Amino acid sequence: MSRGIRRILFVLLAAAVSLSILVPASARDISADLRKERGRLLEMKEREEKTAQELTEALRKEKRSKGRVGELREQLKRQRSLLSRIDRKVSALNDRLERAEKDVRELAAAHGQARTDLERAEVVAFAGQRAGAGDPWHPSARERERYFMRVYLAADAEGVARITRARMRKEEELSGLERQVAVTERKMAREKKVGDTLLSRQEEERRRLADIEREKKRKEKELKSLRAKIARMESVVSRVERQVKERERRARKAAAGGSPVREPAEAPRRFASLSGGLSAPLAGKVVTRFGRQHDTTFDVTIENRGVEIEAASGASVKAVGQGEVAFAGAVSGFGNVLIVQHGGGLFSVYGRLETFLVKQGEAVKKGTVVGNLPGSPSGKSVLYLELRAGGTAIDPTSAIPLES
Amino acid sequence: MSERPSLWWIDWRLSQGPLVRETIGRFLFFCLFGFAFLSLLLSGGASRFLADRYAITAVLRAEVPSAEAEGLARKAAALPPVRSAVYRDPEAAWKEFLRAYPGLDPLRGAGGSPMPGYIEVRIRPDRLTGADVTLVTSALRAVPLVEQVLAGEEWLPRLLRAGRLAYWVGWGIFGAFLAGFFLVGRLQERARAVALAADFAFLTERGVPAGRLAFFRAAAAAVSGFLLAASGTAAGGSALFLCLRKFPFLEGVVGPPSDLLLPRTVAAAALFSCGAALLSAAASLLGWRAARYGRK
Repeated sequence: MSRGIRRILFVLLAAAVSLSILVPASARDISADLRKERGRLLEMKEREEKTAQELTEALRKEKRSKGRVGELREQLKRQRSLLSRIDRKVSALNDRLERAEKDVRELAAAHGQARTDLERAEVVAFAGQRAGAGDPWHPSARERERYFMRVYLAADAEGVARITRARMRKEEELSGLERQVAVTERKMAREKKVGDTLLSRQEEERRRLADIEREKKRKEKELKSLRAKIARMESVVSRVERQVKERERRARKAAAGGSPVREPAEAPRRFASLSGGLSAPLAGKVVTRFGRQHDTTFDVTIENRGVEIEAASGASVKAVGQGEVAFAGAVSGFGNVLIVQHGGGLFSVYGRLETFLVKQGEAVKKGTVVGNLPGSPSGKSVLYLELRAGGTAIDPTSAIPLES
Repeated sequence: MSERPSLWWIDWRLSQGPLVRETIGRFLFFCLFGFAFLSLLLSGGASRFLADRYAITAVLRAEVPSAEAEGLARKAAALPPVRSAVYRDPEAAWKEFLRAYPGLDPLRGAGGSPMPGYIEVRIRPDRLTGADVTLVTSALRAVPLVEQVLAGEEWLPRLLRAGRLAYWVGWGIFGAFLAGFFLVGRLQERARAVALAADFAFLTERGVPAGRLAFFRAAAAAVSGFLLAASGTAAGGSALFLCLRKFPFLEGVVGPPSDLLLPRTVAAAALFSCGAALLSAAASLLGWRAARYGRK
């Protein structure tokens, strides 16, 4: 940026010096205008640099903030998934807990019933033993009944013991489940708290991001406006310089008594007679017309030797006709400039390009993509197009159908 | 040549009236003795009663199938001392148990029957001895299907002792009555010999030897005693048969009526009749001697 500014300043200074030497009165006025505009341009460049830095910082912040928001979103997603899993686990544990409690209740009831039955059986057994103790008539039957009573009581006692064991196991399982539920609920509360914290951090980050975006938009708008002003100013300065040079050349030619200049009205016809004809370099709208124009921003009258076509950022620029690339490089005031020589003294000039897709000396046909426009936050860029015939600039709209 | 008079039934010819009375009395006694003899013989004292009360219980393991248990019961029934061996499945055991302890039925609830099946082994009355019981229980304990053998080891010796005591008491009483009957018979014979002493002296004076007279009298007493004992035993046996038919519970003590017709029972009755004949003859000789020598 600073090198470009220095180059512009150098050009402006050179133009001012030459104008002051070659053009006595009107040139001095132009030179004064140039100095004045140079100061304004410098100031605007500084402002633009500062704004661009701020915008870059805002973009960096926005990126960081978006990254943080994304991270927080991911964390929140994981947290919600974790909470959902914990919730399902708690639900399953509660179901198991309920079943275990029911089992314990049933086992307690069964245990009580079994104990009661066992006690009553013992009473019956005791009464039966007493009643049959002195029975000498059926000793074997009594012996067998006693044995079976022992079997019965043992089976009952085993049943009670089994129920007791099952109940103890269930109670242990129940207490284990209760512990699990408590631990899981504590974990869920903890994770909820973490989730709430993440949510609040995300909200905070979003608010910060919204602030950054607002700031970024404001800066972008400001930068766009500044760049547009700078571009116009550079264009103005450049044209003034060219006008000075053109006058010098004409003056030298007139002094030498050279051949008369061809009529400009013939030039469009010469372009039209090119093999394959001409076509628009891109789809866009003419925003700066050819010829003398009054710039309201800087309140100066300038003579445009070409037109400026506003098109989409990054749009491809095509050759208007067949020819050979005569020049591809940077030109002060026009950025990257490509010049195609169509032969017979016909040239087409494409300024403010971002990239070149052809090399110097390479033959191009009509419609060959020669370069791209630069990208812009506003989504719009401007192509400078100039047609020259026999060293004279002609209105491109007279030779090529362009949307105005 | 002098004619020698027959001495057979001399008493009958000399004293018909008293002899008829004696004969009727003896017949009635022999009826009672026959009844008692056959009862004691068939019952074996208290053996049949005790054998009906006593049973060996072979409690089977829970998982023994019915078919195997039935087979085991058949094998147990084939043992010599065993009268019967019956398999009762767990269901029957449970029902029997509930009959003994009716209050338990509602207590069991859905618990089901915990009872195992068992085989009830009953011993023959004549083999109800400690050795035979040990033989059977040892055989049953050796079978892996058997969980427990209940043979009343605690009280069986007492039972067997009581059985032996009852046996000897029964036969002792019977023998005592028989001895009393013998003594009464001797007295009757002596009394008749005294009463007929003049007639016997007359015969002796006419050349009839006293020993021959005594022999014929004893022989006639033996024959009559045999006949009376046989008929009395038959009558007593018939009465016992009728009693057993009329009162079946007595079968548990005496035995089934059909046992009366067993050859061994008939043989025992015949032996009893022979014994009675000998006793009658002995009573006749002893009465003769007592009358001859003036002894009581």
